[in-house]
Amino acid sequence: MKKSVTALALGTAVIATIALAGCSGAAAAGGGTAAKSGTKVDKVVIGSLHPETGSSAADGQAMDNGAQMAVDAINKAGGIKSLGGAKLELDKGDTKGTPDVASTEANREISDGAVALIGTYASGVSTTISALAEKAQVPFVMDISAADSILQQGYKYSFRVQPSATAIGTQGADAVAAIAAKNGVKLSKVGYLYDQGAGETSLEVAFAKEAKAKGFTVDTAIKYDSMSLTDATTQIAQIKAAGDTTLIVSGYYADSLAIAKSIAASGIKLDAVFGVGDGAYDQQTFLTDAPNGGEGYYNTNYAIAKSAEGQQFATDYQAKFNTPVRTGAALAYDAVQVIAAGLEDSGSADPVKLRDAIAAEKSYTGIAFGSGPIAFSSTGENTSARTVATQILGGKVTVVYPDDQATGTAKFPAF
Amino acid sequence: MTMTQLDERLGETSVLPAARRRLHELLGQRFVRTIGVTVIVIAVVAIIAGLVSHSPDVVWQAIITGLLNGGVYSLIAMGLTLAYGVLHIINFANGSMLTLGLYLAYVAVHDWGMQPYVALLFVIPAMMAFGALTQKFLLNPVMNGASHNQLLVTIGLAVGLENLILLIAGPNPVSVTLPHGGSFSLFGATVDLGRLYAFVGAIAMVVLLSLILQKTPVGTAVRAVAANPVGASLVGVNIKNIYVLTFAIGGAAIGAAATLIAPFQSITPTTGDVFNLTAFVVVVLGGMGNVAGALVGGFVVGLTEQLAGIIFPEQSPLLSVFVVFLIVLFIRPRGVFGRAS
Repeated sequence: MKKSVTALALGTAVIATIALAGCSGAAAAGGGTAAKSGTKVDKVVIGSLHPETGSSAADGQAMDNGAQMAVDAINKAGGIKSLGGAKLELDKGDTKGTPDVASTEANREISDGAVALIGTYASGVSTTISALAEKAQVPFVMDISAADSILQQGYKYSFRVQPSATAIGTQGADAVAAIAAKNGVKLSKVGYLYDQGAGETSLEVAFAKEAKAKGFTVDTAIKYDSMSLTDATTQIAQIKAAGDTTLIVSGYYADSLAIAKSIAASGIKLDAVFGVGDGAYDQQTFLTDAPNGGEGYYNTNYAIAKSAEGQQFATDYQAKFNTPVRTGAALAYDAVQVIAAGLEDSGSADPVKLRDAIAAEKSYTGIAFGSGPIAFSSTGENTSARTVATQILGGKVTVVYPDDQATGTAKFPAF
Repeated sequence: MTMTQLDERLGETSVLPAARRRLHELLGQRFVRTIGVTVIVIAVVAIIAGLVSHSPDVVWQAIITGLLNGGVYSLIAMGLTLAYGVLHIINFANGSMLTLGLYLAYVAVHDWGMQPYVALLFVIPAMMAFGALTQKFLLNPVMNGASHNQLLVTIGLAVGLENLILLIAGPNPVSVTLPHGGSFSLFGATVDLGRLYAFVGAIAMVVLLSLILQKTPVGTAVRAVAANPVGASLVGVNIKNIYVLTFAIGGAAIGAAATLIAPFQSITPTTGDVFNLTAFVVVVLGGMGNVAGALVGGFVVGLTEQLAGIIFPEQSPLLSVFVVFLIVLFIRPRGVFGRAS
């Protein structure tokens, strides 16, 4: 009897603690967002969620840098004018690339007064954060996170700046077909190596579907695990045995580099290697790490626009951080700019009103390449998001498709 | 008791495979049967892979790649199995120590202009010292405590190392280029020279570690501590020093592994993590604490990955590795070469 009384008392205490903690969290959130329409606010906080440490740290840190550059640019230009020149502030959270750490950080940022969130580089993490944002009624603008499923849940508070995996896969097949046709190559079948992750799998599915529409097929599709692939000689032998001369790759940096090395080592004769949403074939480091400087390698992915703003951003980034810009930095920049535009239009730092303003936004044209100003569909997809095809030509990552963005002419066969 | 007497006694009761015991096993039915079964299973799987792919070339390449990768895996698992066999420490910092070794190799080659294999002369002693210091100052103080204390220390070390490297080296990938590297064709299969050297290095390391453990007085003392720490201390072995020495040898093994794989591995602060899981599988498959078992375990994992990748192209190769892992543990709970307790 005594035991059960103790247990009961303990249980009550625990519940009370949780309830109190919940109250204090809610109070803090209320305090942070007290600035209602018309009130003059000194600062507006945006929470960023990126992997600053862990295996994606290179991209995560670059994206933080990009977001910070947007905040600095807006503040330098006088802040949010409709809020009396309120300054933006970036509250940076390290997700470590895992959903649980990201959730903790997101809750902290929201309770510290963040009126919107950006992030998170990983689709798995964004899936969790989008649910959290919906519940907390705080807008969440994804910079990088490709999985289609994130925006198929009927969420109202989640938006995505980058093209979805399906869009990248489809546009990738279009680019391959267009480049081959332009060079007089009749493409009938391709081989495809892709990571087992959800994002890469949807890339392959979308690519294969669009390929069929364009008159060629994915002949040999081989899935691998990017976490353990350090050598792809067997996969390349499979491609060789199947007689595929064009190879499509969707992977991360280290595994895509391993594939490039295995291609060089095996001496297979390929017409082209085409990355689709690939993490290596348009990176500066690939130029130094790959055999023969990666010459001839293609990639289809989101990219920094050829526009003056886009090029200025790349130059400024290089000057400020002394390292070549990654596209993720531009997408994070755009995510902050879209939120700022929403703040400007709504004249309010209330997250619910901000959400409505972002959903109706079409005044900001991104520095990442798109077909026009960023505007969101009812599910939150950026309807203007586009990809470009790049090729490494003469030791430089050169845009070769579409024509209006191109800075060089595609070479096909590439080697 | 002299060392010789001790050695004789250990010949009968050692927990680590003593030379005689191994010789008996080698000649004994069980060892031959194990190897035989392993080879037959791999041959059957290879034939299935051939039927699925319709291409002997692909299977041949898979076997070569599997063996070469297996060599790399066992190389990385060597330090892990040694630390477990003697110290009974599950070293979660194995992967981060590998990363540290990779960056040391990178510094030696890139900044100091050393030839990638000459860098062994720098990386091995450096990692040996790192291992010794780790054991002396971090692990020895908790050696008498519960085993999860040591585990937690190694996890802490792993997190600390990884983030320290991130802080100093930054997140961007770096790489070590092998001058006069390249590849050749072995009956149609591509053999990368860097990987071949690592493969040879793995076998050399198994031989070297076995010789040290079996033939030297120090090795005898190490095995004595592994078998019975109290008994070893009663006959005058300084246990704490042997712990330090063992972890130092483990560090040296990781240093050698890091330098040998550096020429074909993209290096980032989390590269070691990639191998961590595989290394544990290799060690458990081969029998915890068994150096030669780690070599065979590495080959089994390497071949499984490659052949299963052909048979089930739509599945992650890692799935097959774990299926094999579970089957082996079901039949042989102490690993392929583990001894019954």
